[in-house]
Amino acid sequence: MTARSAAGEAAQRGGAGARAVARKLAAIVGPRNVVVDPAELLVYECDGLTHGRVRPDLVVLPGSTEEVAAVVRVARDASVPLVPRGAGTGLSGGARPVPGCAVLSLSRMRRILELDLENGWARVEPGVINLDVTRAVAGAGFYYAPDPSSQSVCSIGGNVAENSGGAHCLKYGFTTNHVLAARVVLSDGAVVDLGGPAPDAPGYDLLAALVGSEGMLGVVTEVTVRLLRKPETTRTFFATFPSTDEAGAAVSGIIAAGILPAAIEMMDRLAIVAAKAATGLDWPDVGAALLMDADGPRAEVEHVSARAIEIARAAGALEIRVPRDEAERQLMWKGRKSAFAAVGRISPSYLVEDGVIPRSEIARVLRDIGRLAEEAGLRVANVFHAGDGNLHPLVLYDARVPGEEERAARLGGEILRLCIRYGGSITGEHGVGAEKAAYMAEQFGPDDLDTMQRVRCAFDGAALMNPGKVFPTPRLCGEKPGPYRPHPAEVAGLAERW
Amino acid sequence: MSAVRAAADGDAVLGLTPRVALEPGSLDEAADAMRALARDRAAVTFIGGGTDLELGAPPARLDAVLHTRRLDRVKEHAPADQIVAVEAGLTIAALQRHLAPHGQRLALDPPHPERATVGGVVAANAFGPRRTRFGTVRDLVVGVTLVRADGVVARGGGKVVKNVAGFDLPRLLCGSLGSLALVAEVVFRLHPLPEASATVAVPGLTPAEVRALARAALDARLDPVAMAALQEGDRFRLAIRFEGFGPGVREQAERLLALDPRCEALAGADEAALWARHDALRLAGDVRAKAAFPPASLEGAVRTLEPLAATLTAGALVLHPALGIAFVAGALSRAEATGSAVAAARVALRPGNGSLVLAAAPAALRAVADPWGDPPPAVEVMRRLKRELDPDGRLAPGRLAGGI
Ligand SMILES: Cc1cc2nc3c(=O)[nH]c(=O)nc-3n(C[C@H](O)[C@H](O)[C@H](O)COP(=O)(O)OP(=O)(O)OC[C@H]3O[C@@H](n4cnc5c(N)ncnc54)[C@H](O)[C@@H]3O)c2cc1C
Ligand SMILES: Cc1cc2nc3c(=O)[nH]c(=O)nc-3n(C[C@H](O)[C@H](O)[C@H](O)COP(=O)(O)OP(=O)(O)OC[C@H]3O[C@@H](n4cnc5c(N)ncnc54)[C@H](O)[C@@H]3O)c2cc1C
Repeated sequence: MTARSAAGEAAQRGGAGARAVARKLAAIVGPRNVVVDPAELLVYECDGLTHGRVRPDLVVLPGSTEEVAAVVRVARDASVPLVPRGAGTGLSGGARPVPGCAVLSLSRMRRILELDLENGWARVEPGVINLDVTRAVAGAGFYYAPDPSSQSVCSIGGNVAENSGGAHCLKYGFTTNHVLAARVVLSDGAVVDLGGPAPDAPGYDLLAALVGSEGMLGVVTEVTVRLLRKPETTRTFFATFPSTDEAGAAVSGIIAAGILPAAIEMMDRLAIVAAKAATGLDWPDVGAALLMDADGPRAEVEHVSARAIEIARAAGALEIRVPRDEAERQLMWKGRKSAFAAVGRISPSYLVEDGVIPRSEIARVLRDIGRLAEEAGLRVANVFHAGDGNLHPLVLYDARVPGEEERAARLGGEILRLCIRYGGSITGEHGVGAEKAAYMAEQFGPDDLDTMQRVRCAFDGAALMNPGKVFPTPRLCGEKPGPYRPHPAEVAGLAERW
Repeated sequence: MSAVRAAADGDAVLGLTPRVALEPGSLDEAADAMRALARDRAAVTFIGGGTDLELGAPPARLDAVLHTRRLDRVKEHAPADQIVAVEAGLTIAALQRHLAPHGQRLALDPPHPERATVGGVVAANAFGPRRTRFGTVRDLVVGVTLVRADGVVARGGGKVVKNVAGFDLPRLLCGSLGSLALVAEVVFRLHPLPEASATVAVPGLTPAEVRALARAALDARLDPVAMAALQEGDRFRLAIRFEGFGPGVREQAERLLALDPRCEALAGADEAALWARHDALRLAGDVRAKAAFPPASLEGAVRTLEPLAATLTAGALVLHPALGIAFVAGALSRAEATGSAVAAARVALRPGNGSLVLAAAPAALRAVADPWGDPPPAVEVMRRLKRELDPDGRLAPGRLAGGI
């Protein structure tokens, strides 16, 4: 088989593409919920990554699981690829259309269906915004733990597809640790329930495969998420350091002392400058800063927080600030959470990278990144989840300067390779999507990718769902693994058989 | 070269004896062994410590067993990154002994740590009372190296805790009972060894009181690492454990003591003895069932499970109120009666997606009760997954729910 892309393949099979089924789709969801007007299609050409736009044939907005299933069946019969879409805030081109596709937007499905505080869960439609789950239960003292910085705009369905994380995932885990059940429409139109409010459902843990599968296994139409009780106490401090070396040492020291912070975030000089410009915070001009949360029962938190401050001092902290009240704490976090967007204040354009390295290598990797940036003649700001080594290098450039965008993209790629060399990963939370599929072949071998694609084939043998994403060379399902292939050593007569 | 020998009595799986037993001593040897099995179209079941081979139905075919006991090395331990990479045949106890001098542990406490292996724990999704705070193996595994039925070696996940590149093979293998692939190496995230520990126990509780006290502790925003209630006669003793730094543990125990005058604090040998009793009770007898239900349905679940326990000799329950899990253990005396009680319990647990799995059962009970109950709702997808990874159905065929 040639390595024709599944996207091309599906588009080809689709012949006229999604346009041909527009009327059938309108009959299912109502004409108002099928978008074909080119002007209206514009916003669906990309997700949070605005380059590499692709115009979809149409967008269909179903309002229920049944409508999703009916839409999927029509698409399947006409071989029209489907690209599920939540709020479109993804940063890896996961919801980027493929030629001839229908974008299947879940944005009309935004009801919270059921809250069960006795059992600690919420059952929601996929279009519900992450923060709205917490808002619905905060009054009763509960919250939904995964807290991507985009939580006020991104959807639970998107979170499930990306296995999204956030600052507090260091202690509380990622989306995968907080999803109890999901209802999924598969590419053959079947509706299946995975998991449930009771733990340990017999059979394979298909939910584990679903979370983080980037829309390639099926369309999620309902999600049951775990709700946690708000911790009794949270203590926060902000510490400044001469450079990222000392800040990195402080992080390592805190972890080595047996402390599990709720969150520990780092910003380098440029990121601090940007955050200050955007928020007006009176942070000093320093080489690096840490923002740490400890949470839990009172005495434990007081103890842990005091120890962590001691360790930060011993590691060379210049100044430690402890917020006087919740308002001041929120302001510190606002500085951190707005740092991405804030970089726009100091640079006309920038790329957001997302890579992971072993935590103990932070200082070295940041120096390596600095060197690569210098060679490329570009600046890189770093603001990231230091506790789990999840870097977010922001590559600053000016798109108006010829060649700079390409240089920035190249530098971003070099940074990902650096993460792989250090034994890390090309993505800690933003996903592979369309953007990083090429790098998958550098992090994983062909057999690793083949095994993952077999999982895909079990769910979506027709390669209908979000085709062409994640994998550098799609595998066609139904390829029969050939007969037994002798190992080279066997052929050479080196290995004995039993 | 993988050690190969004719099978002996110790290689039997649920009464079936294979023809041969393989004992690879490295990843390469394991891959080689799997290729050899593929060539011969041999059906194989993997054996770790052999502590949990009763889980699941007997394999439909068994030509060979593959022991992981010689795959027992720690491949890499990075204390500063709180990560360890180990081979599948390493026992949990040996792993903990390696980690302890670094002030670390794998926050997983399944029964029989001296014999249970890393691969077996992943494959059987085994857990202990600390699941209350740390979750299951699924919440602790970050990477896996597997050997497929066709002998191909593949990796999923990685060596860093945070990683969303590619599909999540490590978690998918949790609970797969050796039916999708051989788990050859596992990378775990580690936790610090706690500085202090204390358990508060309350005897004489009804199931409703167990639930109320467990809830009160959580409502008070305490953060226990374990909560379990052991049956004593027609009442339960609820044990709640705290771990962490000294001041935090002390404060939490004191606050819990203040919640209920019947509470008693345990430390040191008394504390260890209570948790040992938990393990012993959970494992007593030749019938062991695990019931799962939404946590708030605890009282209903106990009402459902008590008749089942009553059919067993010395039958007793262990409840995990925060998890929604209960174990029933005892000795089989009347297989028909136990079989009917299992069926009745399954019906009663079905709302809320509950289940009852027989983790161990003598042949007489298996004759009248399926170990898993009804096929799971997504069984078709599960079958397809099995076919994708093991097209000839040679890995522990028929052992899983739905006859997979
Ligand atoms: C400023 C900013 C900050 C961010 N910070 C973080 C952060 O801290 N942590 C983090 O993890 N991410 C972060 N992100 C990335 C993004 O918000 C997350 O990936 C989020 O989960 C995407 O959700 P969405 O609803 O926007 O999904 P979309 O972008 O619409 O889609 C994302 C993927 O999910 C699939 N999908 C969506 N809905 C469904 C469904 N119902 N069924 C099946 N597949 C579906 C799509 O096909 C696509 O592959 C940030 C983004 C921005 C713009
Ligand atoms: C009497 C008794 C009762 C128990 N009851 C429970 C219980 O109810 N709940 C619970 O959580 N734990 C229970 N356990 C403990 C728990 O099952 C074990 O600690 C552990 O799961 C098994 O590890 P093992 O190495 O002994 O695996 P084994 O018993 O050797 O194997 C367990 C399963 O995993 C497969 N397997 C083993 N190694 C691999 C591998 N490397 N790759 C792929 N598949 C593999 C086997 O084929 C088998 O299906 C019990 C143990 C005993 C002795």
